Amino acid sequence: MISKRIRDNKELFITLFNNSSDFVAYDFETLSNLKIMVCYIEGLIDRDILDRDILESITVNVKKPKDIKKFIMTSSIKEVYSVDEIVNEIVYGRVAIFVEGLKKVYIVGLSKWDKRQVDQPQAESVIKGPKEGFIEDIAVNKVLLRRKLRNNNLVYEDMRLGKQTKTMVSIAYIKGIVNEAVLRELKNRLNKINIDSILESGYIEELIEDRPITIFSTITITEKPDVAAAKLLEGRVAIFTDGTPHVLIVPRIFVEGFMSSEDYYLRPYYASFLRVLRVIAFIITIYLPGAYVALQLYHQEMIPTVLLVSAAASREGVPLPITLETILLIIALELTKESGVRLPKNIGSTVTIFGALVLGQAAVQASLVSAPTIILVSITALAEFIIPQLSEGIVVYRLLVTILGGFFGIYGVVCAFLVITTQVVSLESFGIPFAWTWAPLNKTALKDGPIRIHKRNFIHRPLAIARKNVKRQQPPRGEGS
Amino acid sequence: MKAKITLLCIYMLSISLLTACFDATELDELAIALLIGIDLEDDKILITAEVINLQYSSDSSSSGNVSVKYVQGTGNTVLEALRDITLKFGHRIYGAHTKAIIFGEDLAKKGVMPYMDQLFRARELRESAYVLVAKEAKAYEVMGVSSGLEPIPANYIISLIDSIRYNPKTIDTNMMDFVKHYYHMGRHPIVAILEKRQKKGINQTEKEVGTKDFELSSIGSAVFKNDTLVGYLSGNDTKALNYILNNVKGGIITFPTPVDSDETLFSSLSTIKVRTKNDVDFKDGRLILKTKITISGNLGEIGGDMDISNYESLEKMAQACSQTVKEGIEMTVKKVQREFGFDIFGFGHVLHKKHTEEWRKIEGKWDDLFAEADFQIEVVTNIISSGLLNKPLTVKEK
Repeated sequence: MISKRIRDNKELFITLFNNSSDFVAYDFETLSNLKIMVCYIEGLIDRDILDRDILESITVNVKKPKDIKKFIMTSSIKEVYSVDEIVNEIVYGRVAIFVEGLKKVYIVGLSKWDKRQVDQPQAESVIKGPKEGFIEDIAVNKVLLRRKLRNNNLVYEDMRLGKQTKTMVSIAYIKGIVNEAVLRELKNRLNKINIDSILESGYIEELIEDRPITIFSTITITEKPDVAAAKLLEGRVAIFTDGTPHVLIVPRIFVEGFMSSEDYYLRPYYASFLRVLRVIAFIITIYLPGAYVALQLYHQEMIPTVLLVSAAASREGVPLPITLETILLIIALELTKESGVRLPKNIGSTVTIFGALVLGQAAVQASLVSAPTIILVSITALAEFIIPQLSEGIVVYRLLVTILGGFFGIYGVVCAFLVITTQVVSLESFGIPFAWTWAPLNKTALKDGPIRIHKRNFIHRPLAIARKNVKRQQPPRGEGS
Repeated sequence: MKAKITLLCIYMLSISLLTACFDATELDELAIALLIGIDLEDDKILITAEVINLQYSSDSSSSGNVSVKYVQGTGNTVLEALRDITLKFGHRIYGAHTKAIIFGEDLAKKGVMPYMDQLFRARELRESAYVLVAKEAKAYEVMGVSSGLEPIPANYIISLIDSIRYNPKTIDTNMMDFVKHYYHMGRHPIVAILEKRQKKGINQTEKEVGTKDFELSSIGSAVFKNDTLVGYLSGNDTKALNYILNNVKGGIITFPTPVDSDETLFSSLSTIKVRTKNDVDFKDGRLILKTKITISGNLGEIGGDMDISNYESLEKMAQACSQTVKEGIEMTVKKVQREFGFDIFGFGHVLHKKHTEEWRKIEGKWDDLFAEADFQIEVVTNIISSGLLNKPLTVKEK
């Protein structure tokens, strides 16, 4: 309980913050000898404004405790009565103003801290389309999304998650379009979270996903406000987490892995070509090494003679069996990828060149690996890079296919295909079938699947997700779908 | 639950120990055979295989200098001969990429079917491999000759057979066709031949001797009675045979230009599409073989002053062409009737398919009937285009 006396309160809060050096509890008297105390955390607030516009005005003008609200000239003020709440506000960069003789505290929003500039996202860069990306600050992120959807139906609902971190988490949806069932389920799952820390949206992702044992994520992650806006317009819900630029969006369907925001900004024909290319890349990147190993070991009759001869000739003198060779190269590829990401940028390029030279040139010349295997694994890598959204699942499955292909031939590759397909088809994301538009098949949604048709024919939102207000546009007169 | 997972792990691990059962072979251990030659020597089967030699210098990564090796083995069966190779060569012959089977003439004259058994029984060999006969030679004598652009002799041989697209004076019978024709009622197989010839003049200045002095020719074909080689057809006869068999994939027809001139001048038509329909009929107890051929083609060359810009002369050209084809085919059919006396054109097969009842009655004496039969042929030529010229260059325009 807050005491009426400033001295008690000061003691209480200094104890609550364990004498932390960045906690400021400053008490003073106004000109009319009224005792006042302000509490805040150093560095989280704009002290210029506090000193100049609030403290000065209070010091000069306030005579009676009840008058104080008249002289705090800000629109962001609220009265709070509980200690817990005050602590929560202070750690979020607000100023608590205590007045002698009052059992309530005025909380003034003056938060200001250093944040990164709104920048181009690293993972989802586009050529055509908006370049701005979310940053680590949730308030800025909410603004970025609001600027895409200037609409009174865009709703944010805030909550604090993590007993220690007390991270601000905010769900965003468009009222009237959002799938209510998904929204309800999401709130339910978020409320069940009882963890001590949320440091990144990945924590939430794992805690709310449908099934823990899946390699493909059933939750979309994006850094781009335009992507988030587009998904909300399809009836989805976004989850903003303070401290990370990665915004979660549920539910996710598998086809989304092949989509890029740019698809909708380019001509539909080229966009469709790109989508088909990504589907092909997905197949290549998962199955090519396995099929290669299987054909080389068990089904040599299926390789065209000329290719067989050159492949066999390049295998001459290579010490490792083909399966091991391919797996080692795949691991080498992952090493190169990982070191490129982890190292500082200026060293990163050195590593890439070194890896490329050592692996590509020297290893072949020393007959440690065969040239076709290197070419093939490189193609696999290229194919993986054009579908970054699925790459987490791809790496694991690629190894699975390669090992099965190496041990059982095409039979093993087919088994792996069955495993992967079964997994994808059996998944659900917040009650929506993960393989939706293909299984179960939905013809209207196929318009925005591996091909993207002309926007004139985009009449409906994806019907599995959006349940009401499903029409996006009135079909142009004389045309319909 | 834990026990189940442990069991599953044990099962999966033990599977990895069983790889040998799954017939995995590393590529560099394969002896990829491209040609298999089968001969009879001293009443034993002699197998010669052309195997790709992967051992070339590692610094040149181009496949331009791929070389081949020849390995031989003998035995009483084909399989024994193939396995005889392994103890001298150190590898099992891998037959899935075999492009052609070559039979020596001696063996072909004794019948090839006994030696085909293994080739069909083993799962490796492709039925699309060509069947060839080494004319007046052993199979191993025609192997190793490469006079084409291909560095590998097998590819050279295949390109000779595949050139039926440009010149139908050879025939492209593969193993499947051979066996099919062998089993067909009223039909006997024909296969392509390889004839080794000394080149004329070209290499005399070169110091290299040996296989480079020779070339192979696939002009003509070998006639089998059931599975026994009985004789050869010339190039022109093979061409006529291909016309009747509806197996013309391209090529030209050369015919005398229909102009009034002292000397005989020739023109050529390059065929685009040739369609043949065969039929069999009985009239007054005599067998009549009927063939209708429709040829479409472009004029490739005109000899003599033939102005084809008008319809009549074009029609004359077409008729001359038809006449030539007709005469050629009639000659060939007569020759086959006289010399061989059995059906290689598949008329019996047509009859069998069309009038099975009647076929049953005459099945046994079909070859005799064929030898005595009348032959009627109708040829229609459509000249589609005349190339870039209307009139021959010899015609001066006024």
